[in-house]
Amino acid sequence: MEQDALTFKNVSAGYKQRRVLDSVSFTVREGEFVSLIGPNGCGKSTLLKTAAALLKPLSGTVELFGHDVQHIKPAVRASLLGVLPQKIDSPMAFTVSQIVMNGRISSMGRWGTPSSLDHDLVERSMIYTDVLALRDRFFTELSGGEQQRVALAMVLAQEPKIIMLDESISHLDINHRQEVLQILMNLNREKKMTILLVSHDLTLSAGISDRFLLMEAGTLVKAGTPAEVLEPELLSRVYNCDLTVQQDPYTGYLQVSGAIDSLRRRRKLEKSVHVIAGGGSGIELYRRLLIEGYEVTTGVLNRLDSDAEAARALNIPAVLEQPFSPVGADAIAQAMEMITNADAVVLSQVPFGSGNLVNLELAEEALKRGKTVLLASGIGERDYTEGKLAVDFAARLKHAGALNWNTIHELMIQLQQPSHS
Amino acid sequence: MGMKGSAICTDNSFTGKRKVKSGLRIALFLALFPLLLALSLLLGPSGIGIPDMQSPSGSAILSLRFSRLLMGMMTGAALSASGVVFQALLRNPLAEPYVLGVSGGAGLGATLTILAGSGVLATFGLPVVAFVSAVLTLMVVYGIASQGSSGQPSVYSLILSGVIVSSICSSIVMFLVSTASVEGMHNVIWWMLGSLQPVTASQQILSSGLIITGLGGIWLLSPQLNALALGREMAHYQGLRADFVIVIGLLLATLLAATAVSLSGMIGFVGLIVPHVMRALFGPDHRKLVPLAALGGGTFLVLCDAVARTLLAPVEIPVGVVTALAGGPFFLIILQRRMQQAWIA
Repeated sequence: MEQDALTFKNVSAGYKQRRVLDSVSFTVREGEFVSLIGPNGCGKSTLLKTAAALLKPLSGTVELFGHDVQHIKPAVRASLLGVLPQKIDSPMAFTVSQIVMNGRISSMGRWGTPSSLDHDLVERSMIYTDVLALRDRFFTELSGGEQQRVALAMVLAQEPKIIMLDESISHLDINHRQEVLQILMNLNREKKMTILLVSHDLTLSAGISDRFLLMEAGTLVKAGTPAEVLEPELLSRVYNCDLTVQQDPYTGYLQVSGAIDSLRRRRKLEKSVHVIAGGGSGIELYRRLLIEGYEVTTGVLNRLDSDAEAARALNIPAVLEQPFSPVGADAIAQAMEMITNADAVVLSQVPFGSGNLVNLELAEEALKRGKTVLLASGIGERDYTEGKLAVDFAARLKHAGALNWNTIHELMIQLQQPSHS
Repeated sequence: MGMKGSAICTDNSFTGKRKVKSGLRIALFLALFPLLLALSLLLGPSGIGIPDMQSPSGSAILSLRFSRLLMGMMTGAALSASGVVFQALLRNPLAEPYVLGVSGGAGLGATLTILAGSGVLATFGLPVVAFVSAVLTLMVVYGIASQGSSGQPSVYSLILSGVIVSSICSSIVMFLVSTASVEGMHNVIWWMLGSLQPVTASQQILSSGLIITGLGGIWLLSPQLNALALGREMAHYQGLRADFVIVIGLLLATLLAATAVSLSGMIGFVGLIVPHVMRALFGPDHRKLVPLAALGGGTFLVLCDAVARTLLAPVEIPVGVVTALAGGPFFLIILQRRMQQAWIA
């Protein structure tokens, strides 16, 4: 029966004003190889820091081999738990062997004189991680991947029972990444070393991990075997994008891949959208539409408007009008031409005043020509015209067949529907 | 350079050579510094050479020079070791007692004490008041730098607020000086310019005691200073009481800087450049660097003082002027040639 190596009991943790972990509970048994996964900023690093007693939990307890980690002496804690952060750096010119010897610091005497055992462990760790040849080089001169292997050697020299790695292998080239993973798997198998690996490579982790811990926004949403956690719907929800999980027919490994429409990269969507915006309300629309592959046009915009700036920066054709002047016939004609060439017209959450009411007339014209018109909802809160003209206008547009949209995500789905294109 | 890892590498010819070179350099330095100190005894406004020991004035001159040598050793060692610790703890080559406002705070405290009058307070109180005001200044700097950050302040905000607090302190000193009596003004300005004019024996003994204590404490801390080179977080993971070490280190470094200020006034540059030069020559291992930097700082200041009192004799140049003028170019040469060995930024 293996004992519990690391236990979180209802741990909430974080910083002064910001709570990052919210009531997290889990147990890692001795000898397990566990991958901690989750989107950026979900609290993985905070979890590691809390496990290593660098952060004190706001509530709950963290136990290392059955002892509250807050009450373990630092030197003893270092002999139980080694942490490899995302990146370490040394501002001073220490050599590689000096850096690796840091792993022995809490086992050495007061004066920091290494014993022959310390030397042996350091040398063995450097051989393991293939950095022995670098030992007299300055740590700062090394490449990122070499530094990471030196750092791993340092943590191995610490001889901990658990190693936690915080995305530490992402800087490595494929050869050394495989090697480091092999080292970790050997340590795990032969020395029963417990490994907690923060990883973004779900496929890689699936091949080597006994268990997955999936985090989302500071909470642990699922713990289980790779097959249990790597569920397409669950992952797609947590990572907020479409993900597929397949089993490799030859190796049996699970493969997670983003469902990016690979065809879309090869050909354009051949669809165009005209955006009626203003006051910065168009920027996010432009961005998303361009990413999705639409041809985008926009106008009529005031020449000094932040949307006009954004359109110029993004190379979006735009109809512009002089600031502080009514929209002229020229501009209206140009915009109408763009609308005629577009498949759909999207109205952003632009506030309306008497100056830009003409844009609603453009939308009305578009409807008459059989274009799909998508109108941001809640126009009443953005209507600054005398007598709420824009609200009346919007009602007329809806009556004539314009659709409402609430979120950009929703808008993208509406645009994809064939009936509206 | 050999250090912690040196012993495992003795079979390696490459490292072996480096180690020998480093050892040779240290031996050379240890042989050279007593000579340099002896040289400083030969220099003075009364002439170059050994004064006539038969005459009472000759032996008085030598004893005066000897006491300045001791003052210089103490002050220089304190400033230099303090700089080593600040640079190690903040992991920044710009850190030193002046940049963090520690010297400025100590200077303000000392000015107040000097203006308050002579007597018991000025003798025994000066180092203590300087230390207390330096610690308070450091706390203010740390407090300002911590505002808005979650947990630890960044080194940049520490240095920035240190510079600001430091200049506020010196403005207050200016104000105090401008409103002081002629005698008080003279005392403060003379002290502020920095000089190794002997102080009373009791103050010398007290200051020396404080400085030796501080140096010993820092030397004991040096393995931890090495581990902190990888930062507070990594040091914590390796089983160090990182925050405890940082606080103790800051207090000891502040004690050294404040005592040096109370003893010899505002002598700049020693705390910044001597640590860099010594690190460039002997490597970053603090177990060697701390004592070597202390010796180096002391020797450097003693030599600068010898030059200061001899060059335009009988007029004495403030020693702070000499440290900057002599140290600056020397620092730049070292920076160009060997910076890689010390810091790679």
